[in-house]
Amino acid sequence: MKVLAIARNTFRENIRDKILYNLILFALLMILSSLVLGQLTLGYEEKVIVDLGLSSISIFGTLIAIFIGIGLVYKELERRTIYALLAKPVHRWEFILGKYLGLLITLLANVVIMTAGLELTLAANGGISLENSLRLIPAVYLIFLSLAVTTAVALLFSSFSTPALSALFTFFLWVIGHFNADLLKFAQLTKAATAEFVAGVLYYVLPNISNFSVADSRSVIQSAAYFEPIRAAAVAWATCYAFLYSAILLAIATAIFLHRDFK
Amino acid sequence: MTSRSRLSAWRRWLPGIALLAAGLLVKPVQDRIDSLRPDGEVDADLIYFSSPGAVKAMALGYESLLADVYWMRAIQYYGRREEAARRQVRYKNLPALLDIVTTLDPQMLDVYRAGSIFLAEPDPIGAGQPREAIRLLDRGISQLPKEWRLLFDKGFVYFWYLHDYRSAGQTWLAAARLEGSPPWIEGLAARGLSQGGAVDAAKDLWRRELENSTRADVRNNARDHLNGIQVDEDIWTLEFFVEKYTATHNARPPTLAELVRAGFTSSVPNDPSGMPYDYYAPTGAVSLNPSSKARPITLPDDYRQIFMNRLAAWYESHQKK
Amino acid sequence: MAIIEMENLTKDFQVGFWKKHPVRALDHLTLGVESGEVFGFLGPNGAGKTTTLKILMGLIRPTEGWAHVLGEPVTSVSMRRRIGYLPENPYFYDYLTAEELLRYVGALFGMRQPALGNRVRSLLEELGLGDARKLQLRRFSKGMIQRIGLAQAMINDPEVIFLDEPMSGLDPLGRREVRQAILGLKNRGATVFFSSHILPDVEALCDRVAILNRGRLRQAGALHDILKVKIEAHEIVLAGISEEVTAGLRPLCDEVTPMGERLQLRAGRPQQVEEIISFALAHGASLVSVNPIRPSLEDYFFHEVAGAGRE
Repeated sequence: MKVLAIARNTFRENIRDKILYNLILFALLMILSSLVLGQLTLGYEEKVIVDLGLSSISIFGTLIAIFIGIGLVYKELERRTIYALLAKPVHRWEFILGKYLGLLITLLANVVIMTAGLELTLAANGGISLENSLRLIPAVYLIFLSLAVTTAVALLFSSFSTPALSALFTFFLWVIGHFNADLLKFAQLTKAATAEFVAGVLYYVLPNISNFSVADSRSVIQSAAYFEPIRAAAVAWATCYAFLYSAILLAIATAIFLHRDFK
Repeated sequence: MTSRSRLSAWRRWLPGIALLAAGLLVKPVQDRIDSLRPDGEVDADLIYFSSPGAVKAMALGYESLLADVYWMRAIQYYGRREEAARRQVRYKNLPALLDIVTTLDPQMLDVYRAGSIFLAEPDPIGAGQPREAIRLLDRGISQLPKEWRLLFDKGFVYFWYLHDYRSAGQTWLAAARLEGSPPWIEGLAARGLSQGGAVDAAKDLWRRELENSTRADVRNNARDHLNGIQVDEDIWTLEFFVEKYTATHNARPPTLAELVRAGFTSSVPNDPSGMPYDYYAPTGAVSLNPSSKARPITLPDDYRQIFMNRLAAWYESHQKK
Repeated sequence: MAIIEMENLTKDFQVGFWKKHPVRALDHLTLGVESGEVFGFLGPNGAGKTTTLKILMGLIRPTEGWAHVLGEPVTSVSMRRRIGYLPENPYFYDYLTAEELLRYVGALFGMRQPALGNRVRSLLEELGLGDARKLQLRRFSKGMIQRIGLAQAMINDPEVIFLDEPMSGLDPLGRREVRQAILGLKNRGATVFFSSHILPDVEALCDRVAILNRGRLRQAGALHDILKVKIEAHEIVLAGISEEVTAGLRPLCDEVTPMGERLQLRAGRPQQVEEIISFALAHGASLVSVNPIRPSLEDYFFHEVAGAGRE
């Protein structure tokens, strides 16, 4: 399938990108260092390892999603490889989807490696039961979903903006995405109808990253740190949201793509 | 020609010299800047946000990790004694730091427990803010209502640091009602509710802490308290006997060993670190050897009174035999 | 029905920050290319050749007019399965090897193993890249890039192939290989549409040409029909000339250029040729060569542009 061919090529390009290895290395170092840091917390070693490990996976994964995501389309345009590509019997949406999936596969590989590192660190710290090690998986999965949405945002900006601006906007939206609920509450406090309306619209339009970082009024990482389960319903609905939201962004990117000239 | 070669040599060295000069200037400039800062709280522990709620909002989903970081900060803040001694108010920021930790991650049981000790202990060991300790424990209790240990700790603070025996007793009763609480809490509650600075109840408490706590620092603290009480009781007892000896022999005993020979006591104890007590015959004062490792403790006056009464009563009954 | 049809193709580009000044890159281009032709698309830089090709590949949308390839509009994705395209100054993923690139492109055409592998191998051999199969594209010379570009354009055995400056950057050996490839395509019955500056190549290969200048079609037809009208001047080279003969020859021709032992003369009009030759032979000189001076494309365009400037 053509989408998979494009995805595979994107994956190949990503794994030859040095920035990927730097970030993975850094993340693994962080996870290892948690072994040392844990000693400073007087009894919370495991919590620190999981907190630091999952936070690293989240932060470095987001950095990879942004730094590589903003180049997904831009690089093809700037390096002019896109001319030969689009002259092939490939629909524009196939191109966009292929690029997106390629980076997603890269991110998946990263997340798997880093999670393995985390589990190994826990094992080295004093062992971990199978049940507890499995309790981390839903949290990692939710982090991966947040990466999928962040990638979609980065790709959208990549299709019409320069890397610097794309990175800035994507990062900005990622940060704002944690405050969606607060934004709404704040607008409700003002009791001004227009403000509430605008805030309401923004609430649904801006990417709601807290869908992936909070479950049952608790931070997802915190639940994992205490090896407590996360409700399946929360995970399922978060998946729906990620799928829908990303699909919408990809559709917009495709539309932009369809209407532009490739001079 | 010579002047030109001299000039070019000069030019060659100039960048290097300029760099060196700039490097040497950095230190005095920095020192000047530092001297302009107000003295006193030149604290390394900046608390970036005064509102824990703001910290939590800024956490972007990483609250759990930030809680760990701030907990490490709090431990450093508390544990670095020399640094603490240099501050104007030794543990001024401790309540705020602990607030931030518990706002970020309200489930960290040990933070409430150890934090309450750090807060309640008087200066120089701790912040000397038992009310803050109570406040911290209350937050913990609202987050972890099934945790009997928090109620136990709260009662402890009431009892030992605030001398509010009624509140202590009431709190321990509430603890006793929680599932999983040990059987001896009820007895403790009863004793606490009775007035009169029952230091025996306190000694019991410290002994429980020594036996039950998994944390080394808490156990050491309990041991120190027990030893401190022991020192005071030993000194009061010895001085009491010295007085009795003086009353009967019209002269002070030359040494403490004399008390044994005169039959006032069966033995003269050493202090908990194994060192003999000092005795100054001219005044009959007994004191701790200055080089002893045991630490004295300030006990409430009413306890001394109770102890002396009990001692006197015992002595009377003993005499009558 | 022509295999490539363009009707009133017009493209305006908005230039300027607020996009206020449209620049007309193509002006009502109407052109047809027949099946099986090798068609040359000529013009100076900025004439609109690349714009035309990009419109044909669906990369740019025309402001006015339309274009069809193989009977389908140029935006049709399915039609692209039967065509090939080599962009100007191509750039491909430099982290891929030659083989990997061709396999990737083949996959985009829906080609499968083992047919894909065989095709890749033979294509690389045909274009002289057999040894560079496993070499990463970032190590390729410009000539090699041009050839791999041709390979990816040919990989699906297209019915129509579009080449934008296929000879650019190639040494004579490379140019010969490309020329042979184009002839091979023609022999297989494909239609070749390519743009170029280089007249000898165009002359050698093309059945018909179109000449574009400033976005407008100036001429279309067989090359010799277009340029033959202008062939008037001749260059004559003589040997064994003495000073007096040289002086005698000067009024007979337009220009005399001594070249060591020989003399080169330029005769602007065909009548002069005979006069010069008879005079020279009569005075004991020997004739080395007589050649018609073909107007170069540059000359032609110089003439055209100068003429167009006056319009």
